Amino acid sequence: MLDADVEVDRREFTVRVALQVAPGERLALFGPSGAGKTTLLEVIAGLVPPRRGHIELGGRVLTSTAPPVRDVPPWQRRVGLLRQDPGLFPHLSVRDNLCYAPSASPSEAELSSLASLLGIEPLLAAMPARLSGGQAHRVALGRLLLAHCDTLFLDEPYTGLDASLRRTLTHLVASLVAERSVPAILVTHELADAQAFADRLAVLDRGALLQVGAPDEVVLRPASRRVAELVGYLGFVPSGRTVAGVHPERVIPGAFGDRGLVLTGTVTASRPAGAGWEADLRTGEAVMTCRLADRPPASGALFTVTALDPPYFAAEEDEPATGPAEGGQTFPEQVAG
Amino acid sequence: MAGTGIIWLALLGPVIALFTHLSWHAITKSLTAPGALDPLLISVESGLVTLGVLFVICTPLAWTLARGKLPFPRVWETGVLCSLLLPPLVIGLLLVFLVGPYTPIGSLLAHLHQSATNTFLALVIAEVYESAPYYILGAQSAFAGVEPRLEQQAGLLGDRPRRVFRRVTLPLAAPGLAMSLSIAWARAMGAFGAVVIIAYNPMGIPLQIFTTLQETGLASALPYALVLLVVALPLPLAAYIWSARAGRRRRG
Repeated sequence: MLDADVEVDRREFTVRVALQVAPGERLALFGPSGAGKTTLLEVIAGLVPPRRGHIELGGRVLTSTAPPVRDVPPWQRRVGLLRQDPGLFPHLSVRDNLCYAPSASPSEAELSSLASLLGIEPLLAAMPARLSGGQAHRVALGRLLLAHCDTLFLDEPYTGLDASLRRTLTHLVASLVAERSVPAILVTHELADAQAFADRLAVLDRGALLQVGAPDEVVLRPASRRVAELVGYLGFVPSGRTVAGVHPERVIPGAFGDRGLVLTGTVTASRPAGAGWEADLRTGEAVMTCRLADRPPASGALFTVTALDPPYFAAEEDEPATGPAEGGQTFPEQVAG
Repeated sequence: MAGTGIIWLALLGPVIALFTHLSWHAITKSLTAPGALDPLLISVESGLVTLGVLFVICTPLAWTLARGKLPFPRVWETGVLCSLLLPPLVIGLLLVFLVGPYTPIGSLLAHLHQSATNTFLALVIAEVYESAPYYILGAQSAFAGVEPRLEQQAGLLGDRPRRVFRRVTLPLAAPGLAMSLSIAWARAMGAFGAVVIIAYNPMGIPLQIFTTLQETGLASALPYALVLLVVALPLPLAAYIWSARAGRRRRG
């Protein structure tokens, strides 16, 4: 079990986070760049001192700013950290990189089975400069696994890798974390990466944990308008005393009052997006973006859509409202222009 | 290509002049005289001791400077630059105030039956002072080229700082350190200004060239310059070759 409760000062704000990650659990720490995600990992790894904090890993107290004060140095923490830059030692072969950790003394069979699991067996004699980005990440991951770390931190490790490689590596890490039963944290600003990896999603913004929950729960029921913005809600449509959050991918054409909030607006722009279309719709003062399977009407035309089961937020405050205003589910807006 | 060749030849001018003004007769006459090669031995020995001292003392300093962990880093760097900017002759004169016989260090050495004037120790001291800034600045740059994230990663994998230095920092900086050491070696082998003040004896090759020039003229002095070149060259050359090989190995 990883149990961290820390406060660390950054230039613009203070990171205040308390979280627990169970053995074998995968937590994704999701938030915009500069939210304090990496800082949190570095504090747990012992690379950055917290102003106040208590960190325990597998029953060992790593940091305690309250008496009895404790600050275990990074080399004794057994925290595995994989960053975007895999950090392979360029003067050592892949084999020597894999076996670098003093705690790593794998038998030839163990080394070979891990290398084959990671798909790097033919590369054992190669130097890191010869490896592709994906191969280097696999070697770095193998190095952490052979070091027998008590926890695994992945700090935006897939940036710069192509989508299929990201997926393969995500699945690989997920299965290895489960097999080794260590707590794992993935730091990312890509929601899709976080969802593909995590059992639990924690949303961090300006040093504060805004919401922690199952990935679908956080996305479908964001606790605040800010969380909604971070997880991809692009439209916020006034609905009485509340505001409904509209996620572009949770909009269907047509009026289906029993499935969500029916909105009619003017198409202001549309463009191809992936295998479908994306349209900007103006309803009253609000502008929202919708992802649609079929081509939307031309600009200037009226268009009715249903935002599926949208979350509602208090209009003034940042607190989630209990439900749609006035108990009604359909709330056709004034048509602009 | 042609431009590079011209510049290269221009830089080699003095060496070419050396070879064109040397006669086989002068070489055999100068170098076969009794004790003629003693200065060579002195130079090589003092040069090697100087390199050892520089490596042990100045390597940690260069690493600390490179990592910028010292307060007021510019002050520390200016200190190194000062000893680089002072002419070697002036360094020699100032060393008299520092380690001469009537100084506290001189008295301490006398107490230990040693002296830092006209001894092998004095020669090494002079060579260390003349070459140290070159090594420190080169080594600092070599260490600065080592990615701190790699040292951090080695620490997270379980290595204590000393072990990180030995297993990651030092091997990665090694080609740059080797080049810096070879520059320091060249400075030490050719050290003259400070040496002539505090270590006239035992005589190394640069002083041998100077005294031979004064006593018997240029023709007899030049063979010693050839010896200096031949003896001083292999170490930097080996450093170049080794650095290039290390680079190739890393590139796979």
